[in-house]
Amino acid sequence: MITAHALTKRYGSTTAVDHLTFEVPPGVVTGFLGPNGSGKSTTMRMVMGLDLPDSGSALIGGKPYPSLAWPLREVGALLDAKAFHPARTARGHLRWLALSNDIPLRRVDEVLDQVGLTSVAGRRAGKFSLGMSQRLGIAAAMLGDPGVLLFDEPVNGLDPEGIRWVRLFLRGLAAEGRTVFVSSHLISEMALTADRLVVVGRGRLITETDVADFVARSGGGAVRLVTPDGTGFMTALLAGGATVADEGGGTLTVEGMTAPQIGDLAARGGLRIHELTPVTGSLEDAFMELTQDEVEYRPSTMPNAAGGGRMPDAAGVGTMPDVADVGVRE
Amino acid sequence: MAQALEAAPVGRYRAKQVVRSEIAKVVTLRSTAITLGLTVVAALLVTGLVAHSDLNRRGGYSFGWDPTQTSLIGMIPVALAGGVFGALLITGEYASGTIRSTLAATPKRPFLLATKIAVTAVLTVVFCEVLSFLCFFLGNGILSGGAPSASLSSPGAVRAVVFTGLFIALLTLMAFGFGVIFRNTAAALAAFVAVVFVLPLVMHGIDEHAVRFLPTNMLTNSITATVNQGPGAEVVSPAVGLLLMAVYAAIALVVGAALFVRRDA
Repeated sequence: MITAHALTKRYGSTTAVDHLTFEVPPGVVTGFLGPNGSGKSTTMRMVMGLDLPDSGSALIGGKPYPSLAWPLREVGALLDAKAFHPARTARGHLRWLALSNDIPLRRVDEVLDQVGLTSVAGRRAGKFSLGMSQRLGIAAAMLGDPGVLLFDEPVNGLDPEGIRWVRLFLRGLAAEGRTVFVSSHLISEMALTADRLVVVGRGRLITETDVADFVARSGGGAVRLVTPDGTGFMTALLAGGATVADEGGGTLTVEGMTAPQIGDLAARGGLRIHELTPVTGSLEDAFMELTQDEVEYRPSTMPNAAGGGRMPDAAGVGTMPDVADVGVRE
Repeated sequence: MAQALEAAPVGRYRAKQVVRSEIAKVVTLRSTAITLGLTVVAALLVTGLVAHSDLNRRGGYSFGWDPTQTSLIGMIPVALAGGVFGALLITGEYASGTIRSTLAATPKRPFLLATKIAVTAVLTVVFCEVLSFLCFFLGNGILSGGAPSASLSSPGAVRAVVFTGLFIALLTLMAFGFGVIFRNTAAALAAFVAVVFVLPLVMHGIDEHAVRFLPTNMLTNSITATVNQGPGAEVVSPAVGLLLMAVYAAIALVVGAALFVRRDA
C-alpha cells in the first residue's frame, strides 16, 4: 500500500507536484496517468525518498521510505532505465544490490532468468539497448521479491513483444497480491494494463478511479461494426434500443449495446459480421477531456494536413517561454 | 505471495551490508583495477628513475639531500591519482544514475555517506601505505648501489613513509568530499587540481607566509625525513601538516554531507 498525502514539490516558481493525495492498494495494477511534465516521475521519486517533498508525505505501508528495515525486500522500483554504471556487468550490478540488503545471491541469477537476460549477464550494461536496460531495471526491482513495486514508464523503448511481456508481468505481480504502481503517458497501454487510475495534470490530482468507471463516465462504450448487411443490422439494432451512426462503407458505430449483445443479435437474425470492435479510444477521449487545461507543453498550433508539424509562427512564439520555464524534470 | 523469498532476516540493514555492497561496487569496475594498476606502475617508475639518476652524483650529496625523500618522490603522481579515484567514487555514481539505486537500496543518507567514507578511507590508507613502503624500499635499494641510502631504522624514515601514505589518503578523501559537493567529475577534479596544484603557485604571489599551510607544501614536508630544511624555513612540522590536512579533508566531507542529506538525488 502506497499513500500520498498533500504531497507538494516546488522547483523555484514552478510547482511540479501540488497537494497530491492518492492511494495505491495491493492486489491491483494502479496506473499513474498524466501528460508529460505533469509530475509523475517527481511523485515517484518522492515516494522513494530520492526527492524530498516541500510539504506533505508519501508513505509505504505507513512508513516513510528511509525508515524501511530492508528497502529492497519491501519496495522494488524502476524509475530510470539507466540507473546503473555502464562499465559494470548486469550480474555485477545486481550483485552489489543484493549484498546491500542481504538478499541471497542465487536471486541474481533467478531474476536475470526471469527477465531473459541470462545470456548477456556477463556483458557490460552500458552496451545494452534501451529495451535490455529496462529489463535489467525490472530485474533489479524484483531482486528482493518486494510486495510494493513502482515502475516509471516501463514500456519505453520496448518492442511489441516486450510491451506485451511487461503488461502480463505487471498483471501477474498484482494477481500475486502485490502493490503495483505504474506510470505512463500512453493511455492505450494503461487501458490494457491497469485496473485503477490516478490521473494527474500539472501536478494536481484530476481523478482517482477504476479504469471502467473512467471510460464509462466519458460516455464511451461505443462499438464499431463492419458488415455487408448494413440495412438489416440498422433495423435490428434500432429495434433493440441502440443508437446507430452510419459511418459509410458498411461501418456502423453502435452505442447503447455491448459487443456480445450485438453478436447475439446477429446470430439470431442471420446477419454477417466482418468486424466487431469495442471502441477503446474512449479512454483517450476521457483523458483528453480531463487534462485539456493541464497540459504542460502544448504546441501553439495542432498539426494538420496542410501545415503538419510546422513550427509555430511569430504570433505563436509568445507561448514558447512557458516551455523553457517549466522544463525542470521529466 | 506466489514465489515469496524466505522471510526477511530480523533487524534491518546495517553497516555490514553497506560495506559489502560498497566493496562489491569498487571491485566490479574494471576501471578501478586499471587506475590502481597504473598508479602503482607510475609510482614505482618515478621513484626508480629519480633514484637511479641520483646515483654517483659528481658534486656529491649536499647536507639537505635526503634519500628518504628521493625514494618517496614516486608518491607525488599518487596524489593526482588519489584525487581522481576519490572524486570518481561518488561522481561516477551521479554520472551514471547509480546513486539512485544506491539510495533506494540503503536510504538512510547520513549512515550511507559515513559508511562510504569509512570504506574509502580504509581502502586508500591501506593502498597508499603499501605503495609508500614499496617506493621507500625500491628507491633505497637502488640508491644503496652508489649513493647514501636510508633504511627504516634511519632517523625520521618511518615517520616520513607512514605520513606520506596517510597524507595522500587524506587528499583522496578531500577529493571524495569535492565529489559529493559537486556531483560532477569535471567540477570535482577542477576543484582538486585548483587546491592542490594551482593554489600554491597563486598564493606565492599573494602571501608567501600562508603558502606553508597549503596541502602541497605540507606534503613536501611530510615526505622528507629531515625536518626544518635550512634556517628560517617557513614550514609547519610534519605532524601539524598531517593534522591540518585532516582538517581540510574533514571540511570538504562535512560540507558534502550537509548537502548530501538534504539534496534531491
